Formats: sequence, structure tokens, C-alpha cells
Amino acid sequence: MQTLELARVLDGSFAALSVLAGLGVIVARQMRGTLYLFIAHALMLSASATVLAVSLHSAHLVWVALITLVTKVVAVPMVLVWATGAKVYGRREVEHVLSIPLSLLIAAGLAFVAWSVSQPLVQAIFAQPFAAINVPAGLIAIFFGAFTVAVRREGVAQLMGLLIMESGAFFASIAIVHDLTIIAEIAAAVDVPIAALVIGLLIRSIGSVTGNTRVGQMVRLRERR
Amino acid sequence: MLLAAMLILPATAALLALVSRRSAPWVTLVASLVVLWLAVVATLTVITHGPLVAVHGGLTLDALGALYLLLVAFVGVTSSLYSIGYLEVRHRFATRTVPRYRQYHPLFNLFLASMLAVPLLTNLAEIWIAIELTTILSAFLVAYEDRAEALEAAWKYVVLTTMGAMIALLGILVIYAGVHHAGQVPSWAGLVAAAPLLPPAVLLTGFVLALIGFGAKAGLVPMHTWLPDAHSQAPAPICALLSGVETSAALYMILRLYPALTHNSGIPGANAWYLVAGLVSAGTAAFLILQVTDFKRLFAYSTVEHMGIILTAAGLGTAAAHLGTVYQLFAHALTKSFCFYVAGLAAVTLNTQRIKGNSGLLIDSPLVGWALLLGALAIAGAPPFAIFIGEFQVLRAGFAAGQYLATGLLTIFIVIAFIAIVVQIGGLVFREPTSGQTPARTLPVSSVLALGFAFLPVLVFGFYLPPPLRQLIHQAAALLGGAV
Amino acid sequence: MEQVLRFEGECVSVFVAHIVANLLQVGFLLVFAPLVSGVLARIEEMLQGKHGPSIFQTYRDIVKLFNKEELVSEDASWVFRFAPFIQFVMPIFVVSLVPALTAYPLFFAFMGDMVAAGFFLALGGFFVALAAMDTGNVYGPVGASRTRMVGFLAEPVFIMVFFSVSYIANSTIPYAVNAAFSASWVTAFQPAHLLVLIAFFMLILAETDRIPVDSSSGKVEIAMIGHSKNLEYSGPGAALMKWGGSMKLMLLSIIFLNVLLSPWGLATSMAWGDVFFAMPRVLLKIMLFLLVLASVEMSLAKLRLFRISEFLATAFVICLFAMSIRLVGLV
Repeated sequence: MQTLELARVLDGSFAALSVLAGLGVIVARQMRGTLYLFIAHALMLSASATVLAVSLHSAHLVWVALITLVTKVVAVPMVLVWATGAKVYGRREVEHVLSIPLSLLIAAGLAFVAWSVSQPLVQAIFAQPFAAINVPAGLIAIFFGAFTVAVRREGVAQLMGLLIMESGAFFASIAIVHDLTIIAEIAAAVDVPIAALVIGLLIRSIGSVTGNTRVGQMVRLRERR
Repeated sequence: MLLAAMLILPATAALLALVSRRSAPWVTLVASLVVLWLAVVATLTVITHGPLVAVHGGLTLDALGALYLLLVAFVGVTSSLYSIGYLEVRHRFATRTVPRYRQYHPLFNLFLASMLAVPLLTNLAEIWIAIELTTILSAFLVAYEDRAEALEAAWKYVVLTTMGAMIALLGILVIYAGVHHAGQVPSWAGLVAAAPLLPPAVLLTGFVLALIGFGAKAGLVPMHTWLPDAHSQAPAPICALLSGVETSAALYMILRLYPALTHNSGIPGANAWYLVAGLVSAGTAAFLILQVTDFKRLFAYSTVEHMGIILTAAGLGTAAAHLGTVYQLFAHALTKSFCFYVAGLAAVTLNTQRIKGNSGLLIDSPLVGWALLLGALAIAGAPPFAIFIGEFQVLRAGFAAGQYLATGLLTIFIVIAFIAIVVQIGGLVFREPTSGQTPARTLPVSSVLALGFAFLPVLVFGFYLPPPLRQLIHQAAALLGGAV
Repeated sequence: MEQVLRFEGECVSVFVAHIVANLLQVGFLLVFAPLVSGVLARIEEMLQGKHGPSIFQTYRDIVKLFNKEELVSEDASWVFRFAPFIQFVMPIFVVSLVPALTAYPLFFAFMGDMVAAGFFLALGGFFVALAAMDTGNVYGPVGASRTRMVGFLAEPVFIMVFFSVSYIANSTIPYAVNAAFSASWVTAFQPAHLLVLIAFFMLILAETDRIPVDSSSGKVEIAMIGHSKNLEYSGPGAALMKWGGSMKLMLLSIIFLNVLLSPWGLATSMAWGDVFFAMPRVLLKIMLFLLVLASVEMSLAKLRLFRISEFLATAFVICLFAMSIRLVGLV
């Protein structure tokens, strides 16, 4: 029981840190900061998967942790910096749609909403000990990612929001799904760098055609009278 | 082997297209023709012998999947035929940007392969990966013309649909966990079998997440904001694929969740979810068509509307309504691709996509004018075209089932959309040609051929359905109702 | 935990021993606070690749200042003369309330809880801010208003930290909080605990005028927040202000380390040897903490003034999360 208790507490700490990383992506000014916070989130996902793997004696989760480490912590940042060009990461977002304290408070509210939405699911779930921690944390990350896309203007920040959403979906699922087929696992893991590559190249094109990457301010397409 | 070949072939064609630029269009055309032939053979087998299984259960094909597979294959053929001539014309008359010609055909083939994978894969998580890949692979197809508007459209498209895909990922994984825990294989058949045993909260949470997520990809309101932009800025053959088949892929996923949702006793209002989602989309789109200024955007909003109609039809609940659902899915893909082909030709003729300030297309270029008029009538639901049959079936089934409110609303929305489309396109097509218009260009032969091929099913299926197809539709509708 | 908290009904010698231990704590703070400041300054300089001042430099500064003459402006009121004493005395009050050397409560332990400790520190800041405005110097009121701004932005964070911590420990007495957090080494890893630590660390950065809130080594008056309050003092007044500032830093690190982080190194029995040897152990903890503090400072940049609200808003939301995790009873 002591080890289960320790595992739950550790998993809870990793989940809390991942929520903090998601919070950081919403408000971090520098693009490089958002990238580092995404890496932190992915590290917490790996750590959580490792704790769950040790505690539930599941080899599959060890693979998940390793694959996450390799793809999200190592491959995705490399691919992104290569695809968008290193210059983009020096950008800062100076004016925000919402002021940072307001965004933080709204994010706290969203976290509460995500937690209450996940409660019926957690209660119905078939006695998985870590579901109560991971599922809300994953859903919170999804909400935070969506909020990031909504309030940030820079392309890289919106991309980090998307990646945090994916990371969050996996965070929630490692507690409830224990045996994705190997093909699905590898394909889902490889899918993230590919998505990062394509979106990164798109950011580079936007930068070269329009001169900046403030995608939130591209509003030419609308019904014109 | 048959099923695997359908996936390997476009992938090989992509590689070949990457290597040789000159033969890329022909390689694509040949590959898509072979895929169509394979799809027809597979479908006939499914109709007579039941679901196909291949690669140790990694690929399966049942009736509903076969229907969708046929659509992808057919629209793939017409689209690759159309692109041969169309890209040349746009390329020659492109104003200032250099399009990404080298990447077009490889991406086209990979995009086609990912859409073919959706009905073929067995494992739910793998199907999600295929859907996510369709977005990623079409990002640069939408941004083909390197203009700021096209890039903006591509960005909105990728970001909003990827957001949806991530939300849907959690939904699919929740359902996956549930099905696995109930002891079934995590495939569509396994889902239907496990449905009565799943805890309602698990199924409902997974379904809502999948509805929001895949709904964003299908263009359901209020996640539809990317759709008019992406479907108007992409080149016409890509629009046909996006509007006709890719949104249908997401809708296919939502529809395949329907039998599981209705067979679980703990979820009382399963049909209501589909009804409300469908009516909201259909209604909003119908009103939005009234104020549209660009005819490609008009067709894009019409896609949103039809997605709504199909969902509403599914939510009506009876077997007759399910027949209408499946038929509408089928007819919409065929008709919408035709509409976009003609819209592409009209854009080439008029050199603009605006409706206002242009008219008299019938006189200027009779072929394009008549095709546009017929396409508008077809998509709006006029007889004797296919969509009319589908809508009529749905409405009749709805009134027969006693769902007066929902069916009444649906009728009103369809009528509003009909009026809006006809008025808008009529304004473009009739009356005297506006002076100062550049003379009509010679239309590329392959595009006109593709237009003709696309028109045939739209017209023919309006009053004659070949028996195998009729059987397929019945079997698919039975699957929708929950048969195993 | 019960036997740690009861001391009524014990014999007089234990009573006297507790008072002496308490005085020992005060002496510990008084003697070693300048050393802590000196070590921090030296570490920061070394991390920047420079040699840095001697770690005993603060002692020499204080002794030098005590030997100098004090000059007070004619326009200054009693507040100006009174403030250094308050700045000097408040940390002494607070250190009697917190576990600085012992894990069991001492004589003054129940006379005030964490809210009282916060009140004492705020009282010190209040008088010093008033005194900064007293002389008519240009930079004094500017610094005072900025310090008050940082103070009122940090207030909600303080309150939230207190609430979270006392909710977890079911008490507001620092010794009880210490015992609750150290009940088993498993509870040390609790997410609520971790988040409270992060929030309190950010609070320490704000309250002791470290980067990213204020630059501790720069002397550009127009950018000063907390250091402009020291500008007008001379002689013994300046010595007391300096000493009081170092004591505040050491006190906040003692609260962070001993109350929130872990009670390692504190004396658990009443033997004098145990209590005496707690001193080097606590000093070692403080030195390690200073290393972490300096590294964090060196990796951040000073924030612009109106961005300080964002920094403290982040600390507030982190605390909010800590409290919510605890409230829903997750882990």
C-alpha cells in the first residue's frame, strides 16, 4: 500500500506540474518559452507513464513513456526549429488579446470546468487507480490548449496549444487504455512530429509571404459587400 | 490483399510522382483508376459475401465502409482527371505567385491514400490516425496558391481541424478503453457488440468528445468557420475532395457511433444529440448562404448544410430515415464534387470568384453556365437529381416517424437554402453579360471530361439506382441501425 | 503530533529550557543573517564569472556603519528615526514563532501563528515605506509606492499560501504545519505541497526584492523598488536597516525550508547538543537554498514594472490550484 500511495502522490505531482506547464503556454511571452513549456509537459507525460508502468507492471506503458520521450521531447522541437527557422522563436508576443492576469484567471476557471466535466467519466471508470488523477489533468490540458489557440496571436504559440492538447489527450488515456496495438502506438507517436513539420512549414510560408507570423491578425477572408 | 493494394497503390503513385514531374498527373490518374476498379470489386464482394477481412484483421470492409470507399475512389478519379488540365490553366494565368506544382501530385496521392484508409482500417485508434493524416496532408494542398488568403485559409483549416482531432482523440480513446474492457475487439463491429455493456458515462463522454472533435472536422456549426475559407481558397479539384469526401470522412465517424449510442440503455436521448447537432448546422448554413458573395463559398456553406441534413436524418431514428441518411451521404459527395468542378471552371472563365458584379454566364460560356445552373439545382435538391431523392426520403421518413418538429424545421431549412442557392447562382448565370468582362478562355479538355463523368451519376442516380448499389445502400443502412 | 504540542503541566526546567532555546533561535538569526547575505552576494557574483566580495563583507559593513555619525534631515519626523528599529525588531519577533532550530514548539510558539508572522513582516514594511516618504528625497516616495504596489499584489498570494498550507495541516501554527508536511516522506511529494512550494518561492523573490522583481545589485535609483528606502539612512540607522534586511531574507528562507520544505536538520530532542548541532545543519540547508535562489535569479531577467502583476498573478493561480487539488481531495 505504501508504494501505491507513493505512486499516486508522484503521479499527482507530475499531473500538477503538467497543468502548470499548460498554464505557462497560455501566458508565456516568448515563443522559445512556449516551446520549453511544451517540452516540460511532454516530460511530465513520460514521467507519469513511467510511474504508472512501474505501479501497474505494464510493459506497454514503458514503451509509451519511451516513445513519448523520443518523439515529443527530442524529435518535435528539432523538427519545429528546423521547419520554422530559428528566427521565429526569438519573437515575443507583446500585445495580448486578453491581459495576462485575466487569462490566468480564466484558465483557472477552465480548469475547474474541465475537472467537473471529467468527474462522471472518472466515477464510471472501472476501478483504475490513477484515472482520477490523469483524466482530469488530461482534460485540463485539452481545455488549456484550446484556450491558447483562441487567445494567442502568434503562429508558434497556437501550434504549442495544439501540441499541448494532444499531449493532454494522451495524459488522460494512459490511465484508462492499457493496450493500444503497437502499430497504433507508433503511428500516433510519429504523427506528432509529422504534424509539427507540416504546421512548422506552414508558419514559415506565412512568415515569408506576409512578413510576420501573427496569424491571429490574418482576417482578410470574410464576406465582403 | 485487395484491400491492402488499395492503400499501397496511391502511396507508390506518390513516390513515382515525386520522382518524375512530367508523368506525375498520368501516374495519379492511372493509380486512381485502378483503385476505383479495386473498390468496385471489393464492394461487389462485400454485397454478396459480407464483410471482407485482410492482413490478420488489420483491414476490414463492411457495407457502410464500402459505400464510403466507393465515393472516395470515384471522386479521386474525377479529381485527378480534372487536375490535369485545371492546374495548367491556373498556372498559366496565375498573377504573381509560383504554385507548389512539384508537391501537388505526391500530396494528392497521399491524401487519397489516407482517405481510403478510413473505411479500411479496423482498429479505432488507427482510424483516428488516418483522419488526422488527411488534415496534415491536405494542408499544403489548400495553400497551393501561395497567396496570403490561401495561407490564411490553410492555417485556419489546419488549426481548427487539428484541435478537433485532438478532442476526438480523447473521445476515441475513452470509447476504445470501454470496448476493450467489455471484452470486445476495438473495431466498429466490436463497438456495436459492446455497446449495451458499456457504462453510460463512458460512452456518452466519448461520444460528446468525438462529436465535438469530428464535428469540427466535418464543418458542423459552431466549429465551421474554417470551412468556407479553406473550401474557397483551395484549387477546385482539391475543394471537390475536401468538400465531397473529407468532411464526409468525419461525418462517417460520427455516424458509425450512432448504433452504439442508441443500443445503450443508459443514454435516453441518443437521437436528440444527432437531431440538434444536425438542425443547428443545417439552419445556420441555410441562413448563411443568403449573404454569401463568392460562389465557391456558397458551395462550401452548402456542404455544411448537407452535413446537417445527414445528421438530422440519422437522428430521426427509423430504418427509412437511415436509408435516407446513407443515400444522402452518397449523393452529396457526388453532387458536391461536380459543383466544385464547375465552380473551378467558372472561376477560370470569369477570372474571379465573386457573384456580385458578374452575370450572364449562360450567354458568355454556355457550357459553364449550364453546368453551373444544373449543379446549383442539383445541390439545392431539385428533381430529377440524386439529392432530391435523398431529401425526399428523409422528409417522408421523418413525418412518418412522427418527428414533426424536427422534420418541419428541416424542411424549412432546405427550402431556405434552395431559394438562396437558386437566387445567388441565378443572378450569376442569367441576364446580360456584364460588359468589360475578359473573353472566355478555352477550357481544358480533361477538366471538361471530368465534369462530364462527375455529372453522370448525379443525373442517373436521380431516377435509376443499379441493383447492386441499391443492395449496398440497404445493407449500409442496416448497419447504421445496429445490425452486426 | 500530540506530544509535540503539549507543554502545560511539564516541570519548570523544561519550561526554562524552552525559553533558552527560543533565545538561542533569536541569537542564531542575529549572528548569521549577515553571513547569509554575504554568501548570497558571493554566489551570485561567482555565477556571473566574477570573484565577488568576501562572505564576511556584510559584517564589516555593519560594524563600519555603527561607528559612523548619523545625520537626520530636519524635516524628518519620528517615523524616520523609529523605522530602522522596527525593521530590525520584526524579524526577531517572527523567528520566535517559527521552527528555526527545533522541530518541537518552544516558548513563544503558540503566541502567534502564520497570519501573525505575516502581520509582523507587513508592519515592518509599512513603517519603512512611510519613513521613505518622510525626508523629501525624490527617490524615496517613488520606491515606497512601488514597494507598496508589489506588496499589495503579493498579499493575495500570501493569503492563499497561508490558506492552502493551513488547510493541509489543519492548523495555522508553523510547528503544526511542519509536523503535517513531514508525517511521512510520501506526503512530501504531494502535488499541493509542490505547488505551494513553487508559489512561496516566487513570493520570496518578490518580498526580498530579488530578480525578477528588483535587481539586488544594481544601484540605478530610478529603477529601484525596495532599495530606495535605504538611501537616506546613515550611521547606526543604516546599519540597523541593513541588518534587518538580511534578517528578513534569512527568516523567509527559514520559513520556506523548515516549515514548508522538510524538517531535516531540526533538533527533535531537548538535549543541548542536539539543539546546538541543529545550527550548522540549518545553515547548510540555507546555503543550498541560496544556491538554488542564485541560479534562478541568474536565469531570469528583471521584469518591467507593470509586468510584476503578471508574475504575482501566476503565483496566485498556482496557489489556487494547490488549494483546489486539496479541496477536491484528490491526493
